[in-house]
Amino acid sequence: MTRQEIIDKILELLRDEFEIVNPDLDDNLTEKYEFDSIDAIALLEYVEDFIASPLTQEEKKQAMEIRSINHICDFIEDVLKKRK
Amino acid sequence: MERRVVITAESAITPIGHGKKNIFDNLVNGVSGVKNIKKEDDLLAKYLHSKVFGVIDYEIAYDFSRKFTKTLGPVSYYACQVAKEVIEQAGLDQELLSSGRVGIAFGSTHGSPTVQRNIYEAFFDPERKGYAKINATDYLKSMAHTTAVNITRMFGITGRVIASCTACTTGSQSIGYGYEAIKFGLQDAMICGAADEYDTTTIAVFDNLLACSTAYNDRPHLTPRPFDVKRDGLVVGEGAGAVLLEEYEHAKRRGATILAEVIGFSCSNNGGDLILPNADGVKRTIRMGLENARLNPGDVGFISAHATSTKVGDIVEAQAIHAEYGEVPLVTGLKSYIGHTMSSCGVIETIFTLYMLQEGVIVPTLNLEEIDPRCNMIQHVTAMKEQDVSIASIQNFAFGGVNTSLFIKKWI
Repeated sequence: MTRQEIIDKILELLRDEFEIVNPDLDDNLTEKYEFDSIDAIALLEYVEDFIASPLTQEEKKQAMEIRSINHICDFIEDVLKKRK
Repeated sequence: MERRVVITAESAITPIGHGKKNIFDNLVNGVSGVKNIKKEDDLLAKYLHSKVFGVIDYEIAYDFSRKFTKTLGPVSYYACQVAKEVIEQAGLDQELLSSGRVGIAFGSTHGSPTVQRNIYEAFFDPERKGYAKINATDYLKSMAHTTAVNITRMFGITGRVIASCTACTTGSQSIGYGYEAIKFGLQDAMICGAADEYDTTTIAVFDNLLACSTAYNDRPHLTPRPFDVKRDGLVVGEGAGAVLLEEYEHAKRRGATILAEVIGFSCSNNGGDLILPNADGVKRTIRMGLENARLNPGDVGFISAHATSTKVGDIVEAQAIHAEYGEVPLVTGLKSYIGHTMSSCGVIETIFTLYMLQEGVIVPTLNLEEIDPRCNMIQHVTAMKEQDVSIASIQNFAFGGVNTSLFIKKWI
């Protein structure tokens, strides 16, 4: 899975499920779009479906630090690497 | 210190309409909101003996952003909508809502049963992988105080939170406890109400207790029939209502339109059986309410009876009304129009009563064709009356032996 494919999927999810339209990849989602901890947990559920693999508790805790789309993509790339 | 408490806004979503004009037109025209249960609900519908329900079958134009809807179950959609409408109607600004002087008293029977059902489906799904498919927001949508706190979140309300959860007395407790919070100076305004969503598990409970109407499945509009000799049980319904209670001087300073005054409230428990109607408990609650409102029984011109249309409950209530009030007040069972909307019945019936006081009209108990002789000792309203009533009482009783009596006065 390429970086661009991950970005496209995250943008699609943010638009369709979180009503976040055309964000910059480095926008702070919490500050700019009121993306809160409830949203973060929900997003992780979508990520699990997307990567077709459940996240561990440790991975989920790490994900709570995520603030931007680029961070989300970094996180997914790391997880995918670990799964290889 | 005791302060006067007035109603400065109201809103209801009911099986006979949404908003005063729609609802009042249907009340005076004798329109029933009872229909057949929804066929698409295949979970319990096919097993139920009772096939009737007080259904909300019209669209409601919600305008909530996802930021808020992510924690709303169906019950909280209703709750937030009626809360939004009373806030708009009363013209409350954000500074006041977030001042800490405005609180919320709002409840439901048991949060959102629809969401709770989804949680159980996740548990029993053979394909489940742990508990991961129980959504992060499921608890926030389904918890007992979901309506109250979703309203505070949506409108930035920072005052007291009272989330009554006493089944059929939830709405009247919300108003009563909101009234007390203002009366004794703890808050200046309270948004008070209750909501319940469409739910067949509630029918199943009453069906099992042989308390649901089953004889009119092919003619839903003819049931429930409070006090009628051919009544055969209650009809479960859905709905929501909210009133804004405000301290009188506060409302006057704001230039608010005052709709009515809340002048008394009582609540008590039978202290025994959790289901059976209890005449002594009802009578004691009425006496406590009259004392709280500083009224004589003859001062009360109209009673909105709880009158669920069960065999025993209506008799006990009629006898209790007669024992405490005699034959003076007019009595209507308003559930005859909408069914038993569970937690919200108290607030919806208060709003219907408010409309009648405002318009000088008392509507009859629908389907009351032949009064049960055992209920015939009070002044039933069997045809619409143009009558100027000053003081009315709204009575509600709940499983668990909870009784409430609320008193409102027409604002002139």
